[in-house]
Amino acid sequence: MKNWMLMTTAIATAGLMSMPVQAEDLNLWVRTSSAGVLEKLADLYNASHDDKVVITGITAEQMVPKLGASIAAGAAPDGAVLDLIYLPTFAATDSLEDLTDFIDGLPYAAALSPSHIRLATFDGKKYGVPALPDASIIAYNKDLFAKAGLDPEKAPASLAEIAEDAKKITALGNDTYGLFFVASSGSWLVYDFTPHIWAAGADILSEDGRTATIDTPAMRATLAAYNDMWKAGAIHPTSRSGVGNDAVAAFASGKVGVLMTGSYIVNLMTSQYPDVNFGVAAIPGPDGGASSFAGGDTLSLMKGISPEKKAVAESFIDFYMQPEQQVLITKESGMPPRTDLAKEAYGAFDPRNLVAYDILASAKTPYTYASDELFVARTGPWVNLLQSAIFDGKIDEAIAKAQADFTRILDRTNPK
Amino acid sequence: MTVPLDQPAPHTREPHQWLGAFFIVPSLIMIGVFFIVPLLMTVWMSLHDWPLLGRSSFIGLGNFVEIMGDSQLWNSVGFTMLYTVLVTLALFAVAFPLALLVDRPLRAAGFFRTIYFMPVVIGFGAASTLWLWLLNPDSGVFAQLLRSLHLVSAAPRPIESFWPALGVIILMVVWKSAGFTMVILLTGLQSVPGEIIEAAKIDGANAWSRFRNITLPLMRNSVLLALVLNVTSSMLAFDQFFVITQGGPQNSTITAVFQIYLASFSSYRLGYGSALSLVLLVVLVAISSIQLAFLRTRPEES
Repeated sequence: MKNWMLMTTAIATAGLMSMPVQAEDLNLWVRTSSAGVLEKLADLYNASHDDKVVITGITAEQMVPKLGASIAAGAAPDGAVLDLIYLPTFAATDSLEDLTDFIDGLPYAAALSPSHIRLATFDGKKYGVPALPDASIIAYNKDLFAKAGLDPEKAPASLAEIAEDAKKITALGNDTYGLFFVASSGSWLVYDFTPHIWAAGADILSEDGRTATIDTPAMRATLAAYNDMWKAGAIHPTSRSGVGNDAVAAFASGKVGVLMTGSYIVNLMTSQYPDVNFGVAAIPGPDGGASSFAGGDTLSLMKGISPEKKAVAESFIDFYMQPEQQVLITKESGMPPRTDLAKEAYGAFDPRNLVAYDILASAKTPYTYASDELFVARTGPWVNLLQSAIFDGKIDEAIAKAQADFTRILDRTNPK
Repeated sequence: MTVPLDQPAPHTREPHQWLGAFFIVPSLIMIGVFFIVPLLMTVWMSLHDWPLLGRSSFIGLGNFVEIMGDSQLWNSVGFTMLYTVLVTLALFAVAFPLALLVDRPLRAAGFFRTIYFMPVVIGFGAASTLWLWLLNPDSGVFAQLLRSLHLVSAAPRPIESFWPALGVIILMVVWKSAGFTMVILLTGLQSVPGEIIEAAKIDGANAWSRFRNITLPLMRNSVLLALVLNVTSSMLAFDQFFVITQGGPQNSTITAVFQIYLASFSSYRLGYGSALSLVLLVVLVAISSIQLAFLRTRPEES
């Protein structure tokens, strides 16, 4: 009886008085790397509510094909916590539930990670709520900086500085390298490389994601700086074929000066490699400026979800947005989706987390309908542009080819 | 025991023809559900612009017209042919000597046969992942081994350029499937009657001419069988390139099946992927029937 009363109250608050009262299960698909923290949040939620949130982990690369197939087969889950870059694709195909009124009605709506909201917006409507954000940053080894005669308390402020520092660190010898970046993985390259371009005020796609703008002075300068470092032997040789798992190991070994990485590195290094003395900073442009790629996950609901389940989802979202859960998210994955809780969320954490936290409010993400084909695929034009320009030095040729390939793919994939 | 021709033999006639039909029903159902139906669906999808998300629309032969002008696809077909020729040559070059070596009545021969055959039972995906780790320049076994033997000063990075990448893949495939070709060739070797070899020896034929003029022609069918199986599986190569080179460097190691995968699960164009699958199916059937035509010709007729 007491439960019944509580339920009625909860549903009445959500404005769904006429619905029969009965506990609902909300099934959410989540990529496996995010499943741990979402399961913790779901357990906390389930312990204090009659309704249940059920988390199912899906391998990251299989999320889009599996979700697409399940939508086509009419067997989709109630919602999915998706890499934010896929939101335009799903929203444009009318697969997601409109959450505009709910999001705009949240008291902390203005504090939600802006890039996550931008990517979740299609045709003026909002289709997703930020869940687990992260931001790309550089990490640098302070001990190596000191050894090479550089100021360990001052992060490089431009790519030109990174190049200069990287050469000095490489000159220390003993298999030490100035820079490590993951160059054989599309998702890593878009995460760590695009901020250089944004920092210089340029972009690789137009604001609406429909036109490619690869050939910019910023792109040329950035590629030239990387190619210069590669020719000087200042880039770790495994960068070229690196797919991600070797990067942290190389940085943790203390033989890499600057690592292109993401905000998660702070928690990872302090817990697993506490001896490495490192600093973090935003990603600089070729001649200065700073930017970052807003990555991570957005929670969205599948089109046609029942009002009862939608109410559960909204109650779960509001639950994890509360300061207590935001602290848990920060502890587990390094960064909360709300940008107005610096004191609450970071009070007890490593101050280096704040660097990425401050960037999140201004970090960007490419708005695109063809993320996998353009950026993620190892065979796509983005990876081939950087591989061929940086390692083979064919900058003009690579830019012209990428511009043509991007345009061809965009012509086909832009929503009509 | 002669039976008049105009009178049916009562005992040789099938008593329950429905029984035979009954016995093949399960297999017909399996073939229908898992081959015929998907094949028809592939044909149907290939006539559509069929995205993973959103609505599909009928475009007739549009996908096939696009295939004609798809230079990336024809590059990948060319690469697949190159790979097939090289890997088949390499497999025979290794498997034939192995088969000759283990074709002896020694107890140790059985032991070595087992050793050579062992990698065959590993799946291609698992073997590729294993080799990806073996080839890792920083923590892989090969790099450590070569460096500790002072054969190289810096760790080799074969998958960063085309020929070394293709080379290590062929090495991996030879390691993985030479044992299978060896077993097929071995059955051929063992079917050669000992007395013919004896007779040739008595006639004074040396080892090479015995092999060239007697063993090889008599085991012709095994050789052709091994050839058909190797060519078909090489034309369908995917796992090793998907896992080890990921199509790189600069998309130079994309095979035909890889191209189908990319069309379907990177571009999410299921209709175009289906059309590519059908084209590959036709090409494979053509290649296999040419080879099988050779197989059907008896050696004595040629």
